[in-house]
Amino acid sequence: MEKQVYIDPLNISFARAMEITTYIGLAVMVIFGLLYLVGLSGFVDMKQAIANWNLPVSEFWKEVKGIEIHGYAWFLSNLKGMDCLSMLGICILALAPLLALVAALARAGGQKAYIIFFLIMIAEFVFAIMKPIILPGVGGH
Amino acid sequence: MRVKWLWLFLGFLVLVFGLGGEALASEAAAKGGGLPWWAWPLILFGFTFIIGLIAPMSGVGGGVLFVPLSTAFFPFSVDFIRGAGLIMALTSALSSSPQLIRKGLANIKVMAPVVCVSMVTSIIGGIVGLWITNAFPSGKYYITIALGLVLFVIFVVMLTSKRVEFPEVKEQDGLSSALGLTGSWFEPTLNKVVEYKITRLPVGIIFFALVGFIAGMFGLGAGWANVPVLNLLMGAPIKVATSTSMVIIGVNDAAAAWIYIAKGAVLPMIVVPSVIGISIGARIGAKLAVKAKPVFVKYLVMAIMLLAAVLNIIKGLKGLHVI
Repeated sequence: MEKQVYIDPLNISFARAMEITTYIGLAVMVIFGLLYLVGLSGFVDMKQAIANWNLPVSEFWKEVKGIEIHGYAWFLSNLKGMDCLSMLGICILALAPLLALVAALARAGGQKAYIIFFLIMIAEFVFAIMKPIILPGVGGH
Repeated sequence: MRVKWLWLFLGFLVLVFGLGGEALASEAAAKGGGLPWWAWPLILFGFTFIIGLIAPMSGVGGGVLFVPLSTAFFPFSVDFIRGAGLIMALTSALSSSPQLIRKGLANIKVMAPVVCVSMVTSIIGGIVGLWITNAFPSGKYYITIALGLVLFVIFVVMLTSKRVEFPEVKEQDGLSSALGLTGSWFEPTLNKVVEYKITRLPVGIIFFALVGFIAGMFGLGAGWANVPVLNLLMGAPIKVATSTSMVIIGVNDAAAAWIYIAKGAVLPMIVVPSVIGISIGARIGAKLAVKAKPVFVKYLVMAIMLLAAVLNIIKGLKGLHVI
């Protein structure tokens, strides 16, 4: 009976891409996150983090690491730390809808309106990712 | 009757856990972080596990309970709480969406036009939220008060909105018709394939823009608002509305998450135990929910949200020395 339901191929492609990326992201986030929590070395010292996590985020990083954070270099350049590797997993999760949109775009065929919608969303997504790098001061502190 | 008492007990646990968290937080602050470091992940795991138990039948995502309760009871900056809430809502949405899409319950074609707009407003909301807390010395207290007020609105929405299982759409608007916003799924309770049509897309887009801003600003999932708009305004059957809302939350939250990641407002130490806790809790909660009375759970969650709203407003006003 369920086979009578027609699901548009772009829906199926979207779902498959999202599912695969989510599994990878979750595995990376949880495995390295747990290694960090059981005591393997991390970029952020947990005791210092606990002592300062009541501060707004900019002050937190000044107190804990003496740095100002703009962009993704803070964890991408410290991938020896388990917490930064866990952050990589979170990034993969946050990329899942983008990859799903690209997969759906590839299957949109002659559906011009949806090709436009997907292109707009992909552009918005890429902007959201790039904004902290290309416009670090806009909207920030 | 047993189920009623079970849910009452769970509600009690949430409050005790929350108050316990506040007490522990005060103690930790007083002793300069006196609690051992490993206690915090365990506290977060237990706290989010209980939220996960309650969330499935309430019609709200875990993030919408996590953010206000954590803001009210835990010592973390509201920035870290919003970051964690956003990742929790994102993880839940990403985990459930593929299956819902394959069944025909979630429809990418309905999601696409509204998300084109709400993704922008969600990103703007994330930027504005972080800017307020960092640019103004007392910004975090204004955010806390605003969060309390938003919770009041959610409370009123939940109190007044009536879900329609299979709304009757006699005629589609021009845009919905041109975009082919129709679909179908197999409904096991009716043992047949149900077909549906979407309408009033232009008005829906305006509502989604507003909801996206609020979700991005406070790190809340937006199921509480997406579902009534899709169901009552746009004519999506309730199952299609809740499922499509999940996909919308996933896309919007993923876009907003980059703002928080780039500002360093996502700490694995908070996020990882919270995601694990809510995931395990939600799996057990989904089984419990089969036996629970949905109306009772809904009222329980509404009571918790009302309490969290009041506590957040009080906390914000105290921070501003108004009371």
